Amino acid sequence: MNFDFTEDQHEIKRTARELLAKRSGLEQIREAAEGDAYDESLFTELRELGWTGIAIDEQYGGAGLGVVELMILCEELGYALAASPFLANALGGLMIEHAGSDEQRAKWLPGIASGEATATVAFASGGSSEVVPDADGAAVIALIEGDEATLVARADADVEPVSTIDPTRRYARVSASGGEPLPGDVAGALARAEVALSAEMVGIAQRTQEMAIEYAKERKQFDTPIGAFQAVSHRCAQMLFDTEGARSATYFGGWAADADQSQLALAAAIAKAAASEAALSVTASSIQVHGGIGFTWEADVHWFFKRAQLDAAMLGGTGKQRARVTRLTADSLATAGGA
Amino acid sequence: MDLTFNESESAFRDELRAWIKANHPGEEPAGEDEGYAFRRDWQRQLYEAGWAAVHWPTEFGGRDATLVEAAIFNEELARARAPFPANVLGLLLAGPTLMIWGTDEQKQRYLDPIMSGEEIWCQGFSEPEAGSDLASLKSKAVRDGDDWLVTGQKVWTSGAQYSKWCMFVARTDFDAPKHKGLTYFILDMEQEGVEVRPLRQITGDPEFNELFLENARIPDANVVGGEGNGWTVALTTLMNERAGLAFGLQVGMKVALDELTEELAASGKLDDPMIADELGALHIKCEILRLTAYRGLTATMKYGQPGPEGSLTKWMWSQGNQELMQFATKALGPQALAGGSSWGRAMLRSRGNSIEGGTTEVLKNIIAERVLGLPRKK
Ligand SMILES: Cc1cc2nc3c(=O)[nH]c(=O)nc-3n(C[C@H](O)[C@H](O)[C@H](O)COP(=O)(O)OP(=O)(O)OC[C@H]3O[C@@H](n4cnc5c(N)ncnc54)[C@H](O)[C@@H]3O)c2cc1C
Repeated sequence: MNFDFTEDQHEIKRTARELLAKRSGLEQIREAAEGDAYDESLFTELRELGWTGIAIDEQYGGAGLGVVELMILCEELGYALAASPFLANALGGLMIEHAGSDEQRAKWLPGIASGEATATVAFASGGSSEVVPDADGAAVIALIEGDEATLVARADADVEPVSTIDPTRRYARVSASGGEPLPGDVAGALARAEVALSAEMVGIAQRTQEMAIEYAKERKQFDTPIGAFQAVSHRCAQMLFDTEGARSATYFGGWAADADQSQLALAAAIAKAAASEAALSVTASSIQVHGGIGFTWEADVHWFFKRAQLDAAMLGGTGKQRARVTRLTADSLATAGGA
Repeated sequence: MDLTFNESESAFRDELRAWIKANHPGEEPAGEDEGYAFRRDWQRQLYEAGWAAVHWPTEFGGRDATLVEAAIFNEELARARAPFPANVLGLLLAGPTLMIWGTDEQKQRYLDPIMSGEEIWCQGFSEPEAGSDLASLKSKAVRDGDDWLVTGQKVWTSGAQYSKWCMFVARTDFDAPKHKGLTYFILDMEQEGVEVRPLRQITGDPEFNELFLENARIPDANVVGGEGNGWTVALTTLMNERAGLAFGLQVGMKVALDELTEELAASGKLDDPMIADELGALHIKCEILRLTAYRGLTATMKYGQPGPEGSLTKWMWSQGNQELMQFATKALGPQALAGGSSWGRAMLRSRGNSIEGGTTEVLKNIIAERVLGLPRKK
């Protein structure tokens, strides 16, 4: 029993934190959001560092590490709120690697690993999906409908950029007829994607918690730092509660993905629900702690709040995850009781 | 990360499981005193088989179990729905406090009967005027030759009616600043100057008591950690209180939640999406508690102390357990509040969870100041 990263994993986390602090600071996020364009050189740098291929098998040009390492990067990218197609590409990659056929893997994974031909994934209905992250620049799109998933090449799909409340990421409407089914374990692949997505939200919650605490120490009213008022300090304690809970659940999901798939379905549902709720509540709470400033376009906390809204809705919201948790638990109790 | 038990941890668990299976005492009888006697017998059984204090060093009769094994012990007991040992405050609070602060004579004298349950301990900290602000307590101890004479009042003292000894904090220096003038004593409950009056809780049970002290006598040899050092010693007790119980409580919550899930499934209520949603939310909270407790454990083993997550488990548990019990009685309907149902009683008892062992508000203060580094109000 050891619920901690290895030294190498800690090192990945530290390196990512440092790099992103330099390359993807809040000014860069603002530039990307207001300019409606990614800083292409950032993604190029991440690709060259091999981040895009971190969890992809070596035979397809990846580093062959696990969901845990990918999760670490996603958390740090969420912490930085990096504006790049990294997450969508990673999630699409997980779908193809874990649910694709050998041919599909051979065809798409090398481009995903190198970041030269990226992927994305979304829930769809009748072949179309309203809000797909980074679909416009993608080479291939995985559309999930119920228990099944279809792979559509960008060239065979109608992709139309849509603006959302989150200008730090690009989204598009996708519709496609046809495509190839992903023949493998769609649920398992999706669960891995949910864990990676949860990690981004843990990073978002962590960052906005820190922003709130820093502000609460500096800002004075009634001749007192506002952080000394319990209405504020208890709100900050609640942020820690929510963030750390989401982190526990997400890290466990990453471990289950790599080491014990029998626990993955439940762990992923729990991670996604916990991280979504944490990201939503902590970002909202952080705006409140900042007062009027927090409600301005000038402050940066709203970028995180907005990304959290889209992330929490992606791949099934909390209601769906809770229903899944109840069903999985009741089923396993019935099996244990019947046995 | 490796969230499995290694070979020796698994072996420990299997041995314990087999032992519990062969020795399970069955259902706890109703009634405060009957239940207590039952749990005391159970502790004796654990003691004789060497399971009573697995986390204690072998020199004091424990198994020198690792933190993980101690967690496994509490998990397995709860999973088997076996009772908590009667002397839970002795095992979790008094024992560890004496191991750190006690003299060799004190360790020799007190630790073994704590383990066997032969001598029960209670915790005499809270007073009518000193609850959250514990350091403001007023019970007074003055020297009388080689003894101390104690006068004052304690309240909410759980299990005092069964106790031989009390972890007792009193003021010995009224001129010193409030944290400095306290001394930690071992008080003999079986004497003239100590009167125990039961207090009924909202459940109707007299689990806790008032203590009235009128020139109660404590020999100087029963000072723990030195005169004037009582606050520091008391903090050791309080830290153990907050950390030690997490695993048993967490599994206790899981067991209750699984029972509730089965009851709701059997009555077809799980098909109600509102019920399924709330139940899912509770399973999520319960799992987060378990995982966060394990994260704290790993941090303690690797770095000597838990990280920021370590301060959260008591709060997570009390909130989760209260929500669980409230939801259970709501979802099961009014019969859960009637006569024979254990849910109604459990729901009432759960209201104490966010008060006992430090209120949630006080925990939030501690987190804000010590973990988040927020300023304290002047
Ligand atoms: C079931 C049970 C068993 C117990 N067993 C024992 C025992 O065996 N031994 C023992 O010594 N004690 C025991 N206690 C006492 C327990 O530790 C105290 O009740 C607790 O510390 C709170 O103190 P209080 O009751 O005086 O409430 P108060 O401190 O008066 O608090 C009243 C309210 O004010 C809030 N409050 C107080 N100070 C602050 C602050 N600074 N900031 C924000 N809010 C604040 C509290 O959170 C609470 O909501 C037990 C309590 C219960 C419920």
